[in-house]
Amino acid sequence: MLMNRRTVMAGAAALAAGRASAQGSGAPIRIGLLHDLSGPFAGAGSVPLFQGAEIAIELFNERGGVDGRMVQAVSADSQSRAEVAINEAERLIGQERVDVVIGVYSSAHAVPLAQRMQAAGKILWINSAIATAVLKGKNFTTIFRPTVHSDQYGEGSVMFLSEHCERTTRIAPRNFKLGIIYEDGPYGVGVATALEANANRVGMPIALKEGYSATAPDLSTLVTKLRRERPDAILQVGYNPDITLFLRQAKSGGLRTRMVIGHGAGYSQIDRLTETFGREIDHFCNVDPAATQMLSPERLTPQARELQQILLDRFRARTRSNDPPTHASMGFNNTWVFLEHVLKPAVRQGGGSVEAMRTAALAVDIPVGGTIQGYGVKFRPPGDEMAGQNERSIAVVMQFEDAKSIVRWPTPIAAGPPVMPLPASSPFALR
Amino acid sequence: MDPFLLEAIVNGILLGGVFALPVLGLNLVFGVVDVVWLCYAELVMVGMYCVWFLHTQAGWPLILAFAACLPVVAMLGLLLHLLVVKPLLGSPPITQVLATGGVLFILQGGAMLTFGTDFRSLGVEMPPMEVGEIFVSGTKLVAFVAALVSAAGLWAFLKFTYVGTAIRAIARDREVMPLMGVDPQRIYLVASAVGGGLAGLAACLLVVQLDVHPFIGLSFGPITFMICVMGGLGNMLGGFLAAFLMGVIISTGGFWWNTEMSYVVAFVFFIVVMFARPRGLFAR
Repeated sequence: MLMNRRTVMAGAAALAAGRASAQGSGAPIRIGLLHDLSGPFAGAGSVPLFQGAEIAIELFNERGGVDGRMVQAVSADSQSRAEVAINEAERLIGQERVDVVIGVYSSAHAVPLAQRMQAAGKILWINSAIATAVLKGKNFTTIFRPTVHSDQYGEGSVMFLSEHCERTTRIAPRNFKLGIIYEDGPYGVGVATALEANANRVGMPIALKEGYSATAPDLSTLVTKLRRERPDAILQVGYNPDITLFLRQAKSGGLRTRMVIGHGAGYSQIDRLTETFGREIDHFCNVDPAATQMLSPERLTPQARELQQILLDRFRARTRSNDPPTHASMGFNNTWVFLEHVLKPAVRQGGGSVEAMRTAALAVDIPVGGTIQGYGVKFRPPGDEMAGQNERSIAVVMQFEDAKSIVRWPTPIAAGPPVMPLPASSPFALR
Repeated sequence: MDPFLLEAIVNGILLGGVFALPVLGLNLVFGVVDVVWLCYAELVMVGMYCVWFLHTQAGWPLILAFAACLPVVAMLGLLLHLLVVKPLLGSPPITQVLATGGVLFILQGGAMLTFGTDFRSLGVEMPPMEVGEIFVSGTKLVAFVAALVSAAGLWAFLKFTYVGTAIRAIARDREVMPLMGVDPQRIYLVASAVGGGLAGLAACLLVVQLDVHPFIGLSFGPITFMICVMGGLGNMLGGFLAAFLMGVIISTGGFWWNTEMSYVVAFVFFIVVMFARPRGLFAR
């Protein structure tokens, strides 16, 4: 995917400047888009997240917006820095006077942003940032997250391993050792905590659990320690420079294991990983919401199926991507849910006020299969420990094969059993 | 001895080799010109992009791409001096630092506009060396040896050539040397070009170990500055030794505690050194 900031900003400008006045009748409805279009997160999924949202808005406007009123996106770049994200959110709600901000790639940004948006009485619609801590116990009323949360990642990989390890490796779950390594921000800590809790629940031993800075210039000592502890599976939670650094140093450091599982973010950028490692990452697994092309169209409602094809066609046309990353699906899907199922009824019934959007969000009731990522949408109500979280979101375990991702868990929707342990052709496989 | 601990120590020494070249370059420039190039890590980033582009996009053999990178970044160092540093030589240090900090953002932004935000990989690897239970990265080992040879070459240049002697003399006393017939402006130019060349060399060694992206400087830039200060700003031997010391502290700290704590240990050590020896660990 050849994507640079110029292209991104040009797209944003076209979106913002645009189609509204040309096509619409009535004042455009302004919404804020907040993504990392520069900095390390840009290349780790935030740009496709933005592109997906952009395509959703484009399509929504093509279909007439809300009774002829077009959606006008005001885009901001949080530059992979939390303080910039907060400043840009302040600008969006203060100067640009938007009532809703959509996007947010990083949990490290989402934690303070959610507090700020709640205090300002504005809607924050989180398309990506998955740390459970963003919502848990906060009692937010204007923050919504249609995507999965980090506890589901922990459940996904541990349940996947516990279901398959004995059959494939002849090691019972109680003896199957895990090595958990994670970037030390809210995202990594959240997923690692969930991994540990789930491992404890099913009795899987943890050989090593260790955090690191995503910008660390060297992870060779971590490789040495993993080699000493000999985990049967390595579960990594990271962005992108840290993932490639770790895998490169793991390979040259002689680290061998039975399975490597990533947890979204950098591991969901399969084109990038393939460019760096070629087929060496074949049979690695990754936990994330499903990218739409992984799902059989028959499992989706006709409306979702149509949206699936539109996203894939448009995203591939823009980026020449071989396997559109999960973040493109997340950006499109979750933005579409907002536009079609929240904004539209809120404008029609309540004039588009924050309270009308909040009421519409809480009334959303999309069954499983009703979105292009396969999950349904129903938000936990105010007062719930995870108020604002989509309780119907689903994380899947996918496996890389020849630069494609194939769903391997949950078993009922899997396209066959996983290849496990890593085959001898893998440089990371046990010899 | 625990072979894994030994491996961690070896890794620390090799990591020191990664830090050593940018530390030498920064110290050379500071020692001679008395200006901190805050954008030094970004010069390395430009060099990494240069190698990546020439090798993977233009199809040049890697060795030619390396050879081209050195003069390109040396030229960049010269331009930085002529266009940014020289006009500010008489200004307060904060002005100079802010100006080179501005160049940092220009280089980051320029790289982002030119190459995008994606991570670029050279796709070059060397097989690891396996000695008993210890694994040593072949790429890191080559980089380490290259860093040592380069440091020795720099030492010989400074010790045995006329220009090198003049550089050392200017670094020792930039007020008196002009009275002895040394043209400081010319020496500043040479030091800036050599400093840039060292950034180019560091780029060649780093690009085979790390993916390049516009913000790669954040990974090693801050610790490079810390090592320079710890070894004594302008003290090349001190900086060189401090690079290895810091590499071993980070690596063994990570081994005994954890990877996050290793940097805490390194920073605590740095603070203690600054209290005990404010001019640097190896200041004379």
